[in-house]
Amino acid sequence: MISVSQLTKRYGRHTAVDNLTFDVGKGEVLGFLGPNGAGKTTTMRMLTGYLPPSKGRIKVDGFDLYERPIDCKRRIGYLPENPPLYPDMTVRKFLEFVAEIKDVPARGRADAVQRAIARTRLEEVAGKRIAKLSKGYRQRVGLAQAIVHDPPVLILDEPTSSLDPKQRVEVRDLIAGLRGSHTVILSTHILSEVSTIADRVFILNRGKVMAVDSPANLGLRLRARELVKVEIAARTPEDGAEALSRDTGGEAKASPCIEQVKAALAQVPGALRVDVERQESGTVHAQVESAVGHDIRAEVADLVIARGWRLLSLGGESLSLEEIFLKLTDEGEPRA
Amino acid sequence: MRHALSIARRELKSYFISPIAYIAVTVFAFVSGFFFSTMLVAYVQQASLADQQLQKIGRSDFQLDVPTAVLGEFFRNEAFILLLVLPLLTMGLITDERRKGTLELLLTSPVRSAELVAGKFLGALGLVAVMLLPTLPFYYFLAQGGDWEPGLVVSGYLGMLLLGAAGVAIGLGISSLCENPLISAFGTYGILFTFYFIGTSAPLARTIWVDFINFLSFDYHYGNFARGVLAVRDVVYFATFVTLGLFLTQRSIESIRYKRS
Repeated sequence: MISVSQLTKRYGRHTAVDNLTFDVGKGEVLGFLGPNGAGKTTTMRMLTGYLPPSKGRIKVDGFDLYERPIDCKRRIGYLPENPPLYPDMTVRKFLEFVAEIKDVPARGRADAVQRAIARTRLEEVAGKRIAKLSKGYRQRVGLAQAIVHDPPVLILDEPTSSLDPKQRVEVRDLIAGLRGSHTVILSTHILSEVSTIADRVFILNRGKVMAVDSPANLGLRLRARELVKVEIAARTPEDGAEALSRDTGGEAKASPCIEQVKAALAQVPGALRVDVERQESGTVHAQVESAVGHDIRAEVADLVIARGWRLLSLGGESLSLEEIFLKLTDEGEPRA
Repeated sequence: MRHALSIARRELKSYFISPIAYIAVTVFAFVSGFFFSTMLVAYVQQASLADQQLQKIGRSDFQLDVPTAVLGEFFRNEAFILLLVLPLLTMGLITDERRKGTLELLLTSPVRSAELVAGKFLGALGLVAVMLLPTLPFYYFLAQGGDWEPGLVVSGYLGMLLLGAAGVAIGLGISSLCENPLISAFGTYGILFTFYFIGTSAPLARTIWVDFINFLSFDYHYGNFARGVLAVRDVVYFATFVTLGLFLTQRSIESIRYKRS
């Protein structure tokens, strides 16, 4: 649906976007991640035809953006970082205006506007002037204007900014509902959103693509280790207090209890490293590392129970998107 | 594509949602009315003096040409007020779009930049036309008193519209160059007044320059309309400003897209 080839933008000596080449398939949801200044907004501005690129070609639905800009722009809905609004207009009138300039045929305009209002839950404020709306509502009007002409392609720059958690969920559901029927490129700083809605994630840094993959795969590829976290209860209150005083008694040696747990867990096949700690409440926290792909949760659980210890909780931990993000953007080297 | 009309309509409506349009129309009508009645009173005084002379001497020195005396002067004053009000109406035309972010909306829509410029121009010109409307009843009063030449009135208004068009185009152009509406207003005032007052130096100049100065002066060309002279040359003069202003605006908008934002 969208095909980008060697897209570059230079401002004097500074290269904001460096030779991006990618394709977005019909119905796909693509997430753009990256620190500020990575080039996300610049790329989106080029995709929507606002900013002329220094080099490269963009094709939307088969139309070349440079040769057939009008045809392309008809097919694109765009929500910039700051929603473009006319404060003196009412929500409905504004959406009607947008529908007009996006070439929605006159007959279907009122319906299109009504649909957009319904989808973005703006019914209550449809007659209000935009100047009087809260930031959250304004953001929704911005989203509404992007979808009012039902474009096959949506380019959304931080669509959930300014929204409260409930509204964020609504917007996320809205975008998830568009998947398949619409092609969406969205950028965000909120990594958890991207991991739930996006089919693929582009991590951008300094104008270059650092990584491209599905959120799950990215996690897999970049994981250095698997981690299992275990919580074991102190046996009885006295037990816990005794163990605690033993553990924290000013002696250099670790207490038997922690040692016991550590030694036992180290025996689990596949365990590479064990860290054990006693909390103030008496509970023991342990972390067991294993090689990537080797899931030893069951073995750890079996062991805890076999020893007669009381298992409070057990869970696996994979590298979060946040850690991936930080990892990649720190290193500064592109990894396809 | 007639997006230009959609944009023009939106612009015009937007003028009337804010107090701007109402203030501009009221001020213009009020000041025009004041000038008109002053002219009329002055004329009546002259007329009675001329009558007295006629009775005493049998002839009179005064020109009793109602149309030129009253209307000509009136139109010229009107033009000046128009130039005073115009920059305040045009200063936000493009600068506000940039500040609200809506320029990005318009340029990422299937709207050509030429349509955008045309739409803005027509919207503002529409406001100028609306401003001129309340002054129409004045001629009714004049007509009650006796001779008045409809041709002169038509020509006067045509001149005002053309002057308004030129002013709007210039204001639009300056607005597309500035990021701040105030600077845009000052710039527009600067240009409008330059072309308006340049004519005052004509009597002081040597013969070779006089024609050139007149050629450039707003006052000179507009003055012809005010006197009832409809000349193609004068129409072309104002049309040139319109063309240059709109061309400049379009180029300027295109270059705004290249800016880092």
